[in-house]
Amino acid sequence: MESNIETYQDPSTDKVITKKELNRMVWRSLFLQASFNYERMQACGWLYSMIPALEKIHKNKQDLAKSMKMHMEFFNTHPFLVTFIMGIVAAMEENKEDQETIRGIKVATMGPLGGIGDAMFWLTALPITAGIGASLAIDGNILGPIIFLVLFNIIHFGLRFGLMSYGYNTGVRAMQSLKENTKYVSRAANIVGLTVIGALIASYISLKIPLVVTAGQAKVALQADVLDKVLPNMLPFGYTILMYYLLNKNFSPVKLILVTVIIGIVGKLVGFL
Amino acid sequence: MFGEALLIAIWAFIAGIDLFDGLTHIHRPLVTGLVVGLILGDLQTGLITGATLELVWMGMVPLAGAQPPNVVIGGIIGCAFAILTQQDPKLAVGVAVPFAVAVQGAITLMFTIFSPIMHKADIYAENADTKAIARINYMGMLFLGLFYALIAFLPIYYGADLAKSVVSSLPQWFIGGLSVAGGMMPAIGFAMLLKIMYKREYAMFLITGFILATYLKLPLLAVAIIAVCVAGYDYYINKNNTDKPAKREVRSHGI
Repeated sequence: MESNIETYQDPSTDKVITKKELNRMVWRSLFLQASFNYERMQACGWLYSMIPALEKIHKNKQDLAKSMKMHMEFFNTHPFLVTFIMGIVAAMEENKEDQETIRGIKVATMGPLGGIGDAMFWLTALPITAGIGASLAIDGNILGPIIFLVLFNIIHFGLRFGLMSYGYNTGVRAMQSLKENTKYVSRAANIVGLTVIGALIASYISLKIPLVVTAGQAKVALQADVLDKVLPNMLPFGYTILMYYLLNKNFSPVKLILVTVIIGIVGKLVGFL
Repeated sequence: MFGEALLIAIWAFIAGIDLFDGLTHIHRPLVTGLVVGLILGDLQTGLITGATLELVWMGMVPLAGAQPPNVVIGGIIGCAFAILTQQDPKLAVGVAVPFAVAVQGAITLMFTIFSPIMHKADIYAENADTKAIARINYMGMLFLGLFYALIAFLPIYYGADLAKSVVSSLPQWFIGGLSVAGGMMPAIGFAMLLKIMYKREYAMFLITGFILATYLKLPLLAVAIIAVCVAGYDYYINKNNTDKPAKREVRSHGI
């Protein structure tokens, strides 16, 4: 079977994850973005946060290496809500799901959680708590910053710990019913994953051409009047496909990052971007 | 001045790390105003300037992963400037924002420089070296913290006016170009995911997701739920198709 390549040598699915590992993962999740970079974004911090669970699950060193290698793949989500995905993935690893399914679940959940987290924290929790704090501090009241920190972190840490155990329990329950149909589950996870990537391309990449072409009397804004009429977001989509094409031509991601920096600076210099 | 500048640099170290890691939000101008006020011995001005800057930065949050002008340096420079020059806290905003924009550009460069280190991390992962993975993350935070400490120390030690003229002499196309590049960067990450996950039979799902978000402006959660519905349908169709031949086989054995 093709999926044999992605399954673990040690097939035991004992329940080894305890509250202790989950709590250690929550604390480590604070460092999710410690090694943030454009190539893998949060991947290395994600792996660091998953290590307490992975070490406990994969006693076999080759299995541990295989699992760690997969968790070094590109990952990016909202830094507050990440513990939910960690809980689910810990349950999947414990159940020795094949890597294709785990990868599919990671990709399928990271995008929506990013959007929910933006709305919850940046647009709701932060403005409210910081607003209360600022209204006191602007009169010189020292309680302003303190009240802000207390309120904000009750929400922050409450969600971090709550979502970890919720994610893990959800994962354990889901695994029990899905184990027999791994092949189809992995296909379903891939479908959701790729649909979400399509939506991510449309919503998370910003690339617009502010150029306005003057032809006699007529002024034509290239982005609004031409490109958006054909297909909005065609530039982000096109640029992703170009990157995908170049990756398959064995261009290294680092090279693509440098190319992107150069395009950005030169584009700005000549007024094209 | 050296002592105060050093203390502020230490605060920048801590707050700079908190911006990406920890996220307890001690890095917000509201808290920085309190701390810088205590260090420079003018709590009132610190609190008021911090609150003023907090309101300015309230909308400048990393929505959809785009980096806003750097709130840590903006808060520290703004509060220190207001206290040291005894100017109106509102003027501090005008000083803080150019610094914050320049630092935002520098952070884009740093995320670029960190990228090659990931190949080192790949090798550690292949060897199941959990300690080395931890070390990379600790080093990343140390490096970032030192960068913030240095950026905060220099303008306070040498005076904000000198620093401001240095910042304003940076060419706009360079800083602006870095931020344009920062907006394009996620394309590389998504392309890497596609390289791992993409198969021809999944192409229409990629396009469906793109169209739902582009034309219908659906949020990601809505797109994901639609995808789960489609995937669920696909799952049961496949499952039933494989169940049936199995049953037929049993029957044929019966005959």
